[in-house]
Amino acid sequence: MSSALLEVENLNTNYGKISILRDVSLTVGAGEVVALLGLNGAGKTTTLRSILGLTPPRSGSIRFEGQEVAGRAPYQIARLGVGYVPEGRRMFKDLTTIENLQLAENGRAGEWTIARVLEHLPKLAELRNRKAGRLSGGEQEMLAIGRALVSNPRLLLVDEPSQGLGPLIVEEVYKILGELKAHGVAILLVEQNALLALKIADRAYVLDCCKLVYSGSAADLRADRERVRTLMGLTEVTV
Amino acid sequence: MQTARPGSTIALRLAAIVVGLGALLAIVFLLSKNGQVSTQLFNGLVLGAFYAIVALGLSLIMNLTGTINMAHGSFMTLSGYLAFAMVSRGTNFWFALIVAPLMTVIVGVLVERTLIRPLYQKEPIYSLLLTFGLSLMAEEIYHIIWGANGVPFSPPPSLAGTVGLGFMSFPAFRLFIALVLLLMIAAIALFLTRTRFGLRLRAAVQDSEMIAALGTNTQVLYMVNFALGIFLAGVAGVLAAGLLGLNPTSGNTLLMPAFVTVIIGGMGSLFGSIVGGVLVGLATSLTTLWIPAASEVAMYALMAIVLTIRPRGLFGEEGLFG
Ligand SMILES: Nc1ncnc2c1ncn2[C@@H]1O[C@H](COP(=O)(O)OP(=O)(O)O)[C@@H](O)[C@H]1O
Ligand SMILES: [Mg+2]
Repeated sequence: MSSALLEVENLNTNYGKISILRDVSLTVGAGEVVALLGLNGAGKTTTLRSILGLTPPRSGSIRFEGQEVAGRAPYQIARLGVGYVPEGRRMFKDLTTIENLQLAENGRAGEWTIARVLEHLPKLAELRNRKAGRLSGGEQEMLAIGRALVSNPRLLLVDEPSQGLGPLIVEEVYKILGELKAHGVAILLVEQNALLALKIADRAYVLDCCKLVYSGSAADLRADRERVRTLMGLTEVTV
Repeated sequence: MQTARPGSTIALRLAAIVVGLGALLAIVFLLSKNGQVSTQLFNGLVLGAFYAIVALGLSLIMNLTGTINMAHGSFMTLSGYLAFAMVSRGTNFWFALIVAPLMTVIVGVLVERTLIRPLYQKEPIYSLLLTFGLSLMAEEIYHIIWGANGVPFSPPPSLAGTVGLGFMSFPAFRLFIALVLLLMIAAIALFLTRTRFGLRLRAAVQDSEMIAALGTNTQVLYMVNFALGIFLAGVAGVLAAGLLGLNPTSGNTLLMPAFVTVIIGGMGSLFGSIVGGVLVGLATSLTTLWIPAASEVAMYALMAIVLTIRPRGLFGEEGLFG
C-alpha cells in the first residue's frame, strides 16, 4: 500500500563523517499535518533538508506521490509539489515582497497564483512593494509561507515558524497554517514548541539525537504532558 | 553609507550617474580652452567604458559563483581574433561584431559546463587556478594560430573620420564604442531588473540554495550568467581589437585594470564596477596628459586611496573586505 503522499524509509544522512539521521522513517498522508518534534540539534532541519534534496541522504528511500525522489536535485523535487518554509525564513532581503513571491513561480499550475496568495494573506498585499529585509519577523514568516504557496505545493515543509515571534504573531501564523490544512495542503511541521504544533497536527514524530523516539497520534502525545516533558525536556513545554 | 542595492534602484542610480557625469563633462569640455584636456577626458571615458564592461562581466561571474575568472581577458582576445578572421575573409564588420562574441560565448559555455562547474563546490582558489591555466594555454594557442605579433584590425570605413559635436570633434570609432558599451550596460541593467530571469539571478547571488528550493534550476542560472559575462567580454574584445590592437595578450592587458576597477567599485556591486571603470579610465588618461610616466600606476594609486578611505570599495558589500 502506498497511499501516503510522502513516504520516508530508513533515511540515513551525514554531515561529513558524522551521522545525523539514523534509519528515520516517516509518512505524511494527503492533507495531513504531521509534527516533527525534538530538541535543538535533534536533526529536524536535517530531515527536511534531506527530503528536499538540499542535503542528499546517504541511503534510504524518499517517495513523493509514489515516485522515488532521493538523489534528485532540489529544484526537481520542489517542482513535484514540495514547498519549503525554511528555518529563519531566508528572505531575499533586497527584493520586494512581490518579487519574493515571483521567484517561486516555477510553472506548476494550480489554484495558488500570486493574486490568490495576496488575497489570502492581505497583509502581504499591503506590503507588496516593501523590501523583504524591512518586514517584521511575523510579516517575513507570512511571506515565507506565501512564497512556498505560489508553487502550488501538495506538501509544505515548515521549519520552526514560531521562532523569534511574539505570541500574538505566532497565533496568526498558526491560524494561516490551519487554514492551509483546511485547504487540503499537507504539512510536515517542525517545531521546538511541541504543544503548539500538536494543536494542529494529526500525528507526531519525535526525534532525539538521530533516531525517532515517538511516532503516533498528536492528540495522545498532547494529552500526556509527562511524556512530552520526558521526550522534549521541561523547558520546551509552553502554551 | 549606501550599499549597492540591486533592483530598480540600480537603473535609477545608473541614470543619475550617467546624467551627472555627462553634465560634469559637458561643463569641463565647454570651459576648457585646451583641446588636449577635452580629448584626454573623452579618451579616458572610452577607456573607462571598456574597464567597466570587463569588470561588469567579472563581477557577474564572481558574485554568483565565486569564480574569479582569470581567463576573462583570453575570451576578449578570442572574440577579437574571431572577428579578425571573419573580416579578413571579407565578412561585414557589423556581422562580425555580433557573431564573434556569440561564438566566444559558445566556447565559454563549454568551458564553464565541463571544467569550471565541477569546481563550484570547492574553494574559489581552484577555479582561479583553473582559469589562470586556461588563459596561459589560450595565449599559446592564439600565438600558434595567429602569430606572436599583432594583426591589423581596423574599424570599417563608415566609422573612420571624426564627428563634430559643435564644441569639438570626436573620432567616430571612439564615439561608436562609447555608445555600444553604454547601450550594453543599460541592457544588462534592464535585464537584471526587469526580467524573471534577472530577478532569479539577483536572488541567487544572495542565496542560491533557497532559489533551488523554490524550484529554479540553478545550473541554468550559472550557465546563462557565465554566458552573459563572456558576451560582454566578447563585444568589448572586438571593439578593443579595433581600437587598441590585437595580439595574443591584448585582452589580458585590460584584465588587470578591470580587477582594479572591481576592487575600487567594491566587490559584489555591479554598479560599483561601472563607476569604478569610469574613474580608472579617467585617472589613467588624465595622468597620461600631465605625468605620462605615471599613467600605468595611476589606477593603483587611486585604488590605494579608495581602499584607505573605504576598505570595501566605493559600493562594496560590508564584510567582504572589512
Ligand atoms: N551544515 C552542517 N554541518 C555539520 N553539522 C551540522 C550541519 N547542520 C547541522 N549540523 C548538526 O546536525 C545536527 C542536527 O542539526 P539540525 O538538523 O539543524 O537540528 P534541529 O533542526 O533539530 O535543531 C546538530 O548536531 C548540528 O550540529
Ligand atoms: Mg532546526
